[in-house]
Amino acid sequence: MITSGLIQALFYGLAYGCIYILLATGLNIIFGVMKLVNFAHGQLLMIGAYIAFTVTTALGLNAYLSILVAMGAVALIGVGLERFTFRRVLGTDKLNEIFVSLGLIYVFENAATLLWGNTTRQIPSPLEGLQLSICQGIEINDRLIAILIVIIILVALFLLLKKTKIGLAMRATSQKSTASMLMGVNIEKVYVFTFALGAALAGASGALYGILFNFNPAIGALPTIKAFAIIIIGGLGSIPGAVIGGLLYGIAENTAVYILGGVWQDAIAFALLIIVLVIRPTGIFGEKGE
Amino acid sequence: MNQALINSLGSIKREIVNFSRSQSFYLILVAMAIVLIVPPFLSNYVVSEVLTRILIFAIYASSWNLLASSGQGSLGHAAFLGIGGFVSALITIKLGVPPIFALLLGGLLSAGIGFLIGLTCVRLKAWFLAMVTFGFSVIIVTIFSELDAFTGAVMGFPTPLIADRGLPFYYVTFTIAAISIMAMYIVMKSKIGLAFKAIHQNELEAKMIGINTAKYRLIAFIISTFFAGLAGGLFAQSIRFIDRTVFGAEYSFLPLMICVIGGLGTIEGPIIGSAIYWLIDSYLPAVDGILNGLIGREGLISLFPAVSSVGPYLRTLGLGLFLLVVVIFAPKGLTPLIKKAYNYLRNSLKEEKSK
Repeated sequence: MITSGLIQALFYGLAYGCIYILLATGLNIIFGVMKLVNFAHGQLLMIGAYIAFTVTTALGLNAYLSILVAMGAVALIGVGLERFTFRRVLGTDKLNEIFVSLGLIYVFENAATLLWGNTTRQIPSPLEGLQLSICQGIEINDRLIAILIVIIILVALFLLLKKTKIGLAMRATSQKSTASMLMGVNIEKVYVFTFALGAALAGASGALYGILFNFNPAIGALPTIKAFAIIIIGGLGSIPGAVIGGLLYGIAENTAVYILGGVWQDAIAFALLIIVLVIRPTGIFGEKGE
Repeated sequence: MNQALINSLGSIKREIVNFSRSQSFYLILVAMAIVLIVPPFLSNYVVSEVLTRILIFAIYASSWNLLASSGQGSLGHAAFLGIGGFVSALITIKLGVPPIFALLLGGLLSAGIGFLIGLTCVRLKAWFLAMVTFGFSVIIVTIFSELDAFTGAVMGFPTPLIADRGLPFYYVTFTIAAISIMAMYIVMKSKIGLAFKAIHQNELEAKMIGINTAKYRLIAFIISTFFAGLAGGLFAQSIRFIDRTVFGAEYSFLPLMICVIGGLGTIEGPIIGSAIYWLIDSYLPAVDGILNGLIGREGLISLFPAVSSVGPYLRTLGLGLFLLVVVIFAPKGLTPLIKKAYNYLRNSLKEEKSK
């Protein structure tokens, strides 16, 4: 019994971890290229969940196809955000980025409440009622499909970064923006693309979140912080680090909840983050600062 | 050590003498006279709900501002507001300590915990620090809720008062606010404040010219959390009730918003920001009332079918937009705009006279 419960916790942790990975990777790409931290990233996840919810319930689209719609729509929102808010404070005091994010958090949460209400919702899954067991305690269900989808998205992202021209431009900009500008890279375009890409990843994670869990307009805050903790653990700017960190975090959190109980979940999440930062102020896989 | 102490005392004395000769000193004197003399003629609501709150949050925002002036933007300052509020109320109720000492003790304990949290924060950069302070506020509210049997944080409880509600409490708050903000002003103008500024501008350079950055960042943490705790004690008394919502993120974000609106890094910024914020908050007519008048009740329901009352959400949405506009278009806050308007008016008046 105990082992099957633990396997279940590990498996749930994997699914949680996958959502965290998508969110953290988006945050990480934006940070790596633009040196910008968007504290309103979790609110993009929330908006993505609502967009997927709307197209699934109103248009009758398959829940998994709605992920693509959510990605596109949130990417468009991301373009607007970059153009009208973050671009104007980029390169000024770091505190300004925090202030802008804070304003965006207020705007998104309240706009979502006005549009969709503050009741808890969940995206209806096409697999509802289906039970296919492959080994004890593990069923083929939404969590498994979510894990596969995250793997597909990550592979696509990897190819985009390594094999395409825009990926090359992004990598160059992340290393040295002035030098790549001198080499003929259009930095502004790269920034817009990067932010849209990060936002699209947040939108995808939002749609997955909406399929797996309940959501309401206030869910954005904690995933942001956890994604932040993950990229701190994995090292700022490192995508493999974010993947490892996300898996570790999802599994550790779910196992801890399984063993200790759910009351301390958020406090444990932060305690982990703080312990890591005290030991290594730049993260486990992060490069040494200065 | 002694010589250093004498030097810093000397610099503080010089600052005070310089300040007493400056023009803003007289402006402040006039402003103080107004806020002392006018309140008795105002209604009880204005004094206890608006003016007192402006003062309390001027202290709270100033404490955040002091921390931010050393480059450390905290996102969890509500932890200290809450600790100050709970500790001062609890030791008055359980140990019978007079409220005024309880207030100080609340501030001191808050500073003690601020010291411990500061120890983990001094090596961190801006974003990490923001996250870690936010994390500590979540951990602290969890601890307070778990110790509910002792703290009563979940259901909340009424707080004992330092002075009668209304005018007496207003004057007590005013005195404490004046002393606290003066103290923070002196700190920010002294050599310590100069070190804060150097660290904020470039920590590496500050280190190279021989500033012990960790020490000064810790000092900023201790002073800031002391005054945040003090403000928390006053806040709990001013609303006569305290529960765990005082640790909420909105109270962590509020000082940030107030400082941005008023002007970051200045001494008058938090005061003016607090006044602007609470005046808007208290006097902004209910938004749904206006919308009701414009498009009618049915129109409102058909426009936003999902929520029963749009007012609070629209207001917070507006607040977020306001913050964005201020940060993007007036990054120094609204105070320079007010100064500019004042100078423009004075100059145009002078020109009128010379004609």
